[in-house]
This record gives sequence, C-alpha cells and structure tokens, in this order.
Amino acid sequence: MREQFAAIGRVRWQLFVNSLRTVRGRLELVARIFMFLGFGMLGLGGSVGLGLASWYFASHGQPEFLALLFWLIFLFWQFFPVLASAFSENIDSSNLLRFPLTFRSYFLVRLAFGSLEPATAIGILWSLGIVLGITVAAPSLFFVAALSLLAFAILNILLGRMVYVWVERWLAQRRTRELLGVIFFLFIISFQLINPLILHFGKRAGPAMSHFSAQALPLQRFLPPGLAADSIASALHGDFLRSLGAVLLQCFYSAIILGLLKIRLRAQYQGENLSEAVARTAKPAARGAAPTVGWNIPGVPGPISAVVEKEFHYLSRSGPMLFTFIMPVVVLVIFRFGSARTGDPGGILARAADLAFPVGAAYTLLMLTNLVYNTFGGDGVGVQFFFLAPLRFREIVLGKNLAHAIIIAIEILLVWLGTCFLYRPPSAEIVAATLTGVTFGLLVNLAAGNLLSLYTPKKIDYGTFGRQRASGTTAIASLAIQAVAIGLCALALIAARASGRIWVATLLFLFLIVLAAVGYILVLNQVDSIALKRREALITELSRA
Amino acid sequence: MSAISIPVAAAPAIATEHLTRRFGDLTAVQDVNLRVAPGQFFGFLGPNGAGKSTTIKMLTGLLAPSSGRMQILGSDFTENPVEVKRQIGVVPEGMALFGRLTGSEYLNFVGRMYGLDRDTAAKRSAELLEFMQLTDQPKSLVTDYSHGMQKKLALAAAVIHGPKVLFLDEPFEGVDAVASNTLKAMLQSMIARGATIFLTSHVLEIVERLCSHVAIIHRGQLVAQGSLEELRAGVAAQSATALLASGAAPGDQPASGEKLTLEQIFLRIVGGTRRPDQELSWLG
Repeated sequence: MREQFAAIGRVRWQLFVNSLRTVRGRLELVARIFMFLGFGMLGLGGSVGLGLASWYFASHGQPEFLALLFWLIFLFWQFFPVLASAFSENIDSSNLLRFPLTFRSYFLVRLAFGSLEPATAIGILWSLGIVLGITVAAPSLFFVAALSLLAFAILNILLGRMVYVWVERWLAQRRTRELLGVIFFLFIISFQLINPLILHFGKRAGPAMSHFSAQALPLQRFLPPGLAADSIASALHGDFLRSLGAVLLQCFYSAIILGLLKIRLRAQYQGENLSEAVARTAKPAARGAAPTVGWNIPGVPGPISAVVEKEFHYLSRSGPMLFTFIMPVVVLVIFRFGSARTGDPGGILARAADLAFPVGAAYTLLMLTNLVYNTFGGDGVGVQFFFLAPLRFREIVLGKNLAHAIIIAIEILLVWLGTCFLYRPPSAEIVAATLTGVTFGLLVNLAAGNLLSLYTPKKIDYGTFGRQRASGTTAIASLAIQAVAIGLCALALIAARASGRIWVATLLFLFLIVLAAVGYILVLNQVDSIALKRREALITELSRA
Repeated sequence: MSAISIPVAAAPAIATEHLTRRFGDLTAVQDVNLRVAPGQFFGFLGPNGAGKSTTIKMLTGLLAPSSGRMQILGSDFTENPVEVKRQIGVVPEGMALFGRLTGSEYLNFVGRMYGLDRDTAAKRSAELLEFMQLTDQPKSLVTDYSHGMQKKLALAAAVIHGPKVLFLDEPFEGVDAVASNTLKAMLQSMIARGATIFLTSHVLEIVERLCSHVAIIHRGQLVAQGSLEELRAGVAAQSATALLASGAAPGDQPASGEKLTLEQIFLRIVGGTRRPDQELSWLG
C-alpha cells in the first residue's frame, strides 16, 4: 500500500512538473503562488486573531464565547471548498479503480489526497491558534484543548470529504447536477437575504426571534463547534467528565460521518454505473414532425445568428448561469431592505436612491466576467467545429459578443424595471450616464475577454456548479480589468454627481466609448491570426476529458 | 523501404506536396505527397502514431503544416481556407459536437454555419435525423447520447451541406453493426454521386470493402499509395525480388492464385513481423 501511495504522490508531482513545460502552465504557477501567499496570510493572520480571542475569552472568564470561534472555523472549513473550488485539486476515482487497490487503500487515498486543500490547511492553522491561545491563558488545559481540537479537526476533515463525495455523486448526472445547482443558488440567495429581512422585519418579529434564539442556542451546544467549545469551557470550570463527554460525542459524530463516507466510497469502489447515455426506446421515431427552423436576427448574417442562437440555447440550459442573471435584481432587493436603520425607505441607498440604477448596472457588468473571459470554455470539444466551419474566426467571436451584449441589454432593462419598482424611476441624466458607462465597460470587457478566451481557455461545464477550475491567469486579469473599468466609471459618476453635473460623466463615458471601440475593433481584427496561431492549444485545452 | 507509388491520372480532389509537420524535434509527418482523384473512396492507413490524424487535421484546417502545400479541389488551403472549408465535410477525431444542444439544434446550427438558409437547414436536419435513426429522443442533449449515436450525429453534421469531399477520422469506431451498415450505405451512395471520401480506420476489413484506393503512412512518411490491385502487385513484386535475392523459402506467401488481403499488404509494408526474442515470457 505504501508503494501505491508513493506512486500516486509521484504521478501528481510529475503532472505538476509537466504542466510547467508550457507558458500557460508557468503563468498558472505564478497565479498559484499569489493564491498561496493569500491563503498563507489568511491562515496565519486568522490563527493569531483566533489565538488572541480564545486567550481573551479563556482568561477573562467568558469561555462560552469560544463557541463563536469554533463556529467560524467550522463554517469556513465546510463552505470555503464549495465557494473556492478553483483552488482545490481532486482525483478522479475512475482512474484509481483500474488498479488493484484494496478498499482500505482506496479509502485512504481518497481521504488523504482529497484533504490536501487550502481549507484544511487554514482550518488546522486556525485550530492551532486556538490551542495556543487557551494554553497561554490556562497552561493546564493544553491537553484538553489539544484533544478537543484534534477531534474537531478530524470531524471537519471527514465531514468535508463526506459532503464532497456525496455532492460528487449528485453532480455525476446532469439532472441531479442541475437540481443541486438550483438548490445551491437558492441557498446562496436566501443567505444574502437573511440580514436585510431581519433588519427590515426585525422589530415586528422581535418576540418570535427571541424565542427562536432561546431555542436554538442550547441546540448548538450539541453540534460539533458547540461541543468543541463546551469541552474546553467545562474543563475551565473543572468539570472534566463533561469535557470528556463532549469530546466523545464529537468522536461519535465522526464515526457516523465515516460510515456515510464509507457507503459512498464503497459504491464507487464496486464500480457503480452513473452513465447517462440515452437508452433506445421501443416507440417508433416520430415521423412528419415539422422541422425546427433556426433564429433569424434582422440585419445579422445567418452564421452569426446561428452562433447567437447556440449561445442562448447553452445559457438557457445552464442553471448556474440563469441564477447569475437574476443576481443584479437580487442585489437591488438586498440594498432596498438592507438598511442599517430600519424605517429608511430607500434601504442602504436611502440617501442616494438615484444611484440604484448605476449600482445594479455595475453589478451586471461584473456578472459578465463569467461569460466573456472564457467564451469558448463551455464549448468544449465543439471548438474544433469553429475551425472546420467556412467562416473567419472573428465572425464566430462577433456572434458570441453579440449574444453577450444582448444578454447585458436585457439585464440592464431588468435592473431599470427593478429600480423603478423598488426605488423610483432614475432620472434621464442618470440613465444616460449609466448606459454610456455600461457601454464603455462592455466594450472593454469584450475586447479583453476575447484575448483572454484565446490565450488562457479553460474547459467548463455550464451545467455544473462548483468543481469548475477557472484559469488562474484569467481570474486575476479579469478581476484587475473589472476593477479598473468599473472603478473608473464609479469615480467619474460620483464626482459628476457631487458637482451636480452628471452630464459631464456622460460626456467622459462617450469619449471612453470611442477609445474602447477602437480597442475592440483592433482586437477583433487580430482575432483571426491569434486564433490560427493558438488553434492547437485551444483545441487541446478544451478537448480534455 | 522504398515507397510504392502509382501516379493518378485525373485532376486530384486532394493533393499535397511535401506536406510536413513538426512538433519540436519530432517530425510527425514528413514530405507527404498525396493524390486522391475525384470520386475515390480513399483509405488512409497506418500504425498507431504513424501520422494519420496529424495529416487529416492538416487537410481539414485543424492543424497548421510546418511546410508543404495542400490543395482541395484545386484550391490552395492556405490561400482560400474559407472557400475550401465550404466544400468539405469532416468527422474529426473528437467529433466536434456541442454537448448542450439537442441533435436537431446541432444540425441546424451546423447547416447555417455552412451557409444554408434557415428552411433548408431545418429540412435537412430533420431528414438526416430520421435517416440516422436519431429521432427517438428529440429533447435529449447530445451530451446524453451514447457514443454510437454521437458518431452518427457527427457524420450527419459532416454531410448536411452536401460536401464534395468528406474527411472521416475513424468513423466506425464504437458504432454498432446496424448503424455501421447504414453509414456504409450512405457513404457508398455519396461516392456514386461523385463525392470523394478520405477515410482513416484501423479496421482493415472495412477499408478493404469500401475503399478503391489506399495510402499507407508509416513513421510520418508515405510508404504506399494506389489502388488495392496496384498495391497487391507492388507488394508481390517487392516480395519476389526479395525472395530471389535471399533465396529463402516463401513462408507467409498466399497460395498460388490467392489474393493478398489488405491486412497482409499492410503488414508487409509497415514491417509488422515480430522477433521471437520479443516474446514476453513472464506473461501467464
């Protein structure tokens, strides 16, 4: 078994070394170094902060507040891998199952290599910070704190893997995958709405909320973070039996999680078949059905219309994308009800309701990042067709850009309607400034996106949420471009608004549109030659299994 | 080994001159001079890694040649790529399908990308889906199709615009016998109507049954080209010369009057014999 572990470790190392042969691989390494530094700072900084907080709570007779720290670690440990799947590596079990591994080896390999992710490292660092903080406050509690946090860490690692393998199973089939995506996005949206709704309805629901809190607080003590805190707090009060009991209950939870993990991995080990291939039906083929005619966009050549239609079919079948599209309106709702002081009619934008439309529009532009910076990512192996088709590549890019521009236009219309409904209709000046600002931002994004899509493509599945590893180079570059474009527009609009001359911002944006349009056309003129030079890399990257 | 080459009299549908492709230090395809006459069903064979897929990728515009020229129906590919692509149909190695479209949407899309008007694209899509027996699940996405269904769809997409030259990279791989029969019938009817088909396959029996002409590539170089009869004659002549020179007994020769199969020709040309010391004695 040791040899098998070593072989897997070696092959992962070789894969990493081989990835450095290409410029793209080296750029990815640079991006990962930056991410590593970021995670390192988060881990160490959090560790110091949590250490200080735990020292304070333990030394000032407030051990019950330790639960807050454990809940923070727990939520981060479990949710960060889902939100930042781009930074996690996972091995494909089907590759391992070809080899004569015992179930025990398979189980340990999946557990060990699957746990090598930033959340585990950061979670462990933070836990160590708490152990140190408590040990400094009460040196005699070192053993209890270490034991409790060890149990807590093991539980988190097992829970993370258990959730991952079950989610992996649901993601393996398109229908369950899309259903899971919908549930996840509903969860994210409802999570965002909790605070605004509490703030908005808090006063009216005061007694009910207090009742709920009174019921929920004792319950949390029986959940893993509460148990970890309780074991330390009990030891501080000299109740070592209760402390041990809390640790044992954590171990009991871990055993249950281990059992669930084992059920899933056993099914994988036994070669479950999750094939989605369409079975032939006994019913005869439908004859004489009227053929479906493609779209006709007035003034747009047939092939470009076909590309637009294809993009819309793709996006309309993508749960994650559809939910991304409604987010700008959701953001307006959050701002509307998310006032710091209840009773403000305009919510967070109470004193600047006229900015609701530009804020929503800016969020819409941010949403573009998912679409334009990896425009061929969703096409996968289909990208070959674009090189086989009797078209210039710029026509295909133009079709995709047109589809994305139409989506943005629809989004802006929705945001405008949302603003009128939730706030008040924006003034003509604000509308003009916003529309020109968005046009500038759109052109910048499309120009940069076209280049990055050709230079750093990454295959993605529009039907899957999570497990999508965006190119690190694209992620960093698109973030910088968005920050500059939206930041520039925001500064100009705020300055113009402060001076009472919003039309100045509109004029500036018109000037910027001209510059951006020139840049966009220059890029578009280069697309054919870049695509021809990059075609092998593009096809290879997007045709990966 | 000297190449067996037989000149083709007619103006070629596909012609290459010194076609070469290098990947760093590796020369995958070297100085390939192909001639495929219009109306030929042409089989392009070679062992694994010989350069078949690289050649077909260059001929269809998926890969740039390092040097050399390619002409399809008299047009230079590098100079008129769009015009050439309009006249060819391709089933590439990865099939180039868009997984999140339905079969009908995909064919419609491909048809329009090849310049068909909306109504024609829709009509042909429906006909092709029915011909390929892909109408059972009209709402299913291509990604949910079986491998064989995807192959049939890829072939339907390759012919929707009525190409004059068809490039097929392993079209029968993973296709069941019933579907394979349908595809063969369709391809033969295309040949009967004057189209040219350029096909690669590892299944030599299929190539022997379908193709009138064959070329064999080995280690990046074209080592044989011509009709099956011409190749048989060439191999027989070479063998006779070799036998005369060595004075050895004719071990693997077919009996007198018996025709060499394509597999025998192929093995003779690419040197598919094994030395006894290559036996893996440790294998159970």
